[in-house]
Amino acid sequence: MLPFYVNLRDGEPVSDQVVRAAHQALAEGELCEGDLFPSIRALAQELKISPTTAFKVVQELKDLGFLVSRPGVGMVAQTPSTPPLAKRLALLEPSAKRFLREARALHLDTDTITEFLKNIHEQTD
Amino acid sequence: MITIHQLQKRFGKTAVLQDLDLTVPTGKISALLGPNGTGKTTTIKCAMNLITPDSGSIEVCGVAPNKLTPLHWQRIGYVSENQRMPDWLSLSSLLDYLRPLYEKHWDRSFEKKLLADFALPMNQPLRTLSRGQRMKAAFLSSLDYRPQLVVLDEPFAGLDPLVREEFLEGLLELTETEGWTVWISSHDMEEVERFADHVAIMDAGKIQLAEEVATIQQNFRKVELFFPQDAETAADWPHEWMGWQSSGRTARFTVSNFDPELTERQCKERFSTLTRCEFHTMSLREVFIALAKKNRHEKEVLA
Repeated sequence: MLPFYVNLRDGEPVSDQVVRAAHQALAEGELCEGDLFPSIRALAQELKISPTTAFKVVQELKDLGFLVSRPGVGMVAQTPSTPPLAKRLALLEPSAKRFLREARALHLDTDTITEFLKNIHEQTD
Repeated sequence: MITIHQLQKRFGKTAVLQDLDLTVPTGKISALLGPNGTGKTTTIKCAMNLITPDSGSIEVCGVAPNKLTPLHWQRIGYVSENQRMPDWLSLSSLLDYLRPLYEKHWDRSFEKKLLADFALPMNQPLRTLSRGQRMKAAFLSSLDYRPQLVVLDEPFAGLDPLVREEFLEGLLELTETEGWTVWISSHDMEEVERFADHVAIMDAGKIQLAEEVATIQQNFRKVELFFPQDAETAADWPHEWMGWQSSGRTARFTVSNFDPELTERQCKERFSTLTRCEFHTMSLREVFIALAKKNRHEKEVLA
């Protein structure tokens, strides 16, 4: 079993979706620093994705600083010092766009949305 | 791994393949997609030396299909939708028969693992097996020698989702075989969208689009335009735009060269009253439909 959950959707590159899911799992504590991350092969088999894609996922997570290879152990999760702001925001962009589209459909203006987000943020803290 | 150039094949009066060009890249999972009856199986059979093309050339592992030697076939696994099998044999005798043919390549421990995963009856004649079981048996006997090239013609047709999962798991066991290449045909786009690295979409005997899946997902978008009054129509549009439709205040079309800035600028240049535009990602199936409609439209215009 994978240490994080992904519900793959069509139309968006699979590697982007898996990277996002793994990142989310790290942020939410589903995946903790020092946890073993699945091998490329396990990733491909569990998600039924091409090994090339699985390789890309691991590579990207490494670049973002979420994974580090430990010789003799495998890939281990880590929380990076702080990845560049632009990269962190880029991960959020697709869901933000979806959210804003729905908000617009409900005729909500920016101020209302901002207030709404602030409230939710306080509640979850 | 496979290169096909200007392949032509007719059956009687019907031209099935017309100047088909296709490359199956080494080390990737490639899918050959298209509706039933477009010539996918014919293409695969030509590459597997089961039928002779009328003209054109094919190279498989560096040689023409009719020059493939037993040494090549030891490294190729091929399963077709209606795989013929020696029905009177049990799976256990079939495997006994096949093992020596593949010599050192046959992997006994992999065979054991797949047998356990697939849970197949070993000792009853293959003819008494269900369709799903027979397909699994065919698949298993083509994977046990860890082929470098796996060719699957509609392997999932008519199989339940669970068997399909087992198939993919078995296939992905081979990941560590060097230069491992998979070529898989399907009429079901959703089936391969997540799984394939590269797809070739075929329609009417020709390849309409051959590209990395991630590139297609990046390049194609459904564009939605919103106008304050009736939707405008453009006097000219780039040839990467297709399938223009409008109704009331909105218009929709597909772009094949999506770039957020470029596409937005191209829209604003053409439509003076445009209030905003939205871009939506497309699945392979939607891309295929957009392309097929475009082709049909172009043919009508020519006629």
